[in-house]
Amino acid sequence: MIAVRGLCKSFGGLRAVADLDFVAREGGVTSIIGPNGAGKSTVFNLIAGTMRADAGRVELGGRDITGLPPQRLARLGIARSFQISNLFFGLSALENVRLAAQAHAPRRDFLARLDRADALVARARATLAEFGLVDLAGEPAANLSHGDQRRLEIALCMASQPRVLMLDEPTQGMSPAETLAVDALIRSLAGRVSVIVIEHDIDLVMSISDRVIVLHQGRKLFEGTPAEVSGSSAVRDAYLGAGHGAA
Amino acid sequence: MPAASLVQRLGAAGAVRRGIVGWIVPALLAPALALPWLVGDFYVRLAIEAFLLGALALSVDILLGFAGLLSLGQAMYFGLSAYLTALCYLHVTQSFWLVALIVAFAVALVAAVLGAVAIRAKGVYFALITFGAAEIAGKIVHNTRALGGSDGLLGIPVPAIALPGFDLPLRSNLVFYYVVLAVVVLVYLAVNRILATPFGSVLSAIRDNASRVPYLGYNPFWYKFFAYLLAAEVAAAGGLFYPLLRGFVGPDLFGFEISTQSVVMALVGGVGTLIGPLVGGVVITFLQSVLGSYTERHLFVLGIIFILFVRFLPGGLFSLLRGASARGRAP
Repeated sequence: MIAVRGLCKSFGGLRAVADLDFVAREGGVTSIIGPNGAGKSTVFNLIAGTMRADAGRVELGGRDITGLPPQRLARLGIARSFQISNLFFGLSALENVRLAAQAHAPRRDFLARLDRADALVARARATLAEFGLVDLAGEPAANLSHGDQRRLEIALCMASQPRVLMLDEPTQGMSPAETLAVDALIRSLAGRVSVIVIEHDIDLVMSISDRVIVLHQGRKLFEGTPAEVSGSSAVRDAYLGAGHGAA
Repeated sequence: MPAASLVQRLGAAGAVRRGIVGWIVPALLAPALALPWLVGDFYVRLAIEAFLLGALALSVDILLGFAGLLSLGQAMYFGLSAYLTALCYLHVTQSFWLVALIVAFAVALVAAVLGAVAIRAKGVYFALITFGAAEIAGKIVHNTRALGGSDGLLGIPVPAIALPGFDLPLRSNLVFYYVVLAVVVLVYLAVNRILATPFGSVLSAIRDNASRVPYLGYNPFWYKFFAYLLAAEVAAAGGLFYPLLRGFVGPDLFGFEISTQSVVMALVGGVGTLIGPLVGGVVITFLQSVLGSYTERHLFVLGIIFILFVRFLPGGLFSLLRGASARGRAP
């Protein structure tokens, strides 16, 4: 469970995130939505250790994890994806996933021969199979299609068996059919991990989320179930306002 | 930006390495073993020099081909090792093993301090720091009378290596050649083994996309740090024998010329292959020797070779074998 309390971040005079509170429930899917520039990505960067918060706390299962570097957070079970596919493009799909899996292997295995690390490879292949990528195991990630790269990005996160999975626009640039597949995928992951999603596809958000947080100009405008969010006039105004360019 | 993209381009060729099949090392070893019986002393000694400079190129490859770090000052560890070796044999001890231990320890110490600073810098700044450190070290030696100044240290005695039951007299060209060959092969095998591990794979990940690595749970600093230490020790292994080959050491051993030459050697052989830089070391050393008898401008030729390889064969000579090895690779 991730709890965010009083989180603040400014860039110069711009308040990107202001006094944000929310809780991402254990095993649930929490979506963060909002118009461009609402501060969604900044929230992700603050939780995953990419940036340091000016004020406020982030807690993982009651433990204060504010300000820890990304590698510590990853070891504590926070895995994040990126809005633009951020993979090891020169390495094969299998190597990508294996790298994520081996980070959590015992330290003494670190100078073990990799070509004999059968258990690690088996685990990596199982993860690839789960994401429908096993046929592409030997392909350099750079050669994968956009949709496959997006799924490999999630596979990379899941290979480390995280407690919290943070997906930054997982369907960015995907076809409607691929988006549906991601919908099913995220539903299947919920329960195993706590999922926090930034997403622009409102249909997807409504379908997968237990909880939706609407950000507007760095502040939490609304929080509720998908049904409550679609009924909120404040949310509609914020989106329409942004849509008409009146900021 | 151009410098960073060059590093990436050279580093990307490291992917070639996985495709190189096991027969290439034995295939190269056979002529290396036969060489002293086929050619005269001049070429045997040239081959020894080639292997020692090849070890320096191998050291460059650990950084460039695996961690994606371009060192332009790797000769510093070669020079440091050579000077320490010379000083020890002149003033401290004639025991090869004790000298090797002292050198290994001292180099680790220097590399730990400089490495901790240098690897925090990215791209071209790492190259500049390593270059600057080597230049400073060279100047210090050049201006220190106790270290022979610009003349260097002369008259270094050539010891024998004490082994259980017998001694290996390095005075003999034949023995010296086989000892250096054995050391280079062992260094290659050790480095190859160390990098064929999860440790090595994290280095490859850092080379490929450093900013993503922390999000998997790895602290890139320590991986680069230990790669830097390993590379320094490999360079030192070459420097350990150099004074025995030449009988003297000079401040130019720290120099930019040797550093860049080792980068060219790694590039010509094949960055990221480990074995390629040793081959590149032999090719370039022999080429320099032949060219040196015709022209004073062999550095000019080295520069042209560098440009041609970067432009037309960034994977080095070993990338030519990639087609053959891809067919032979296990599925």
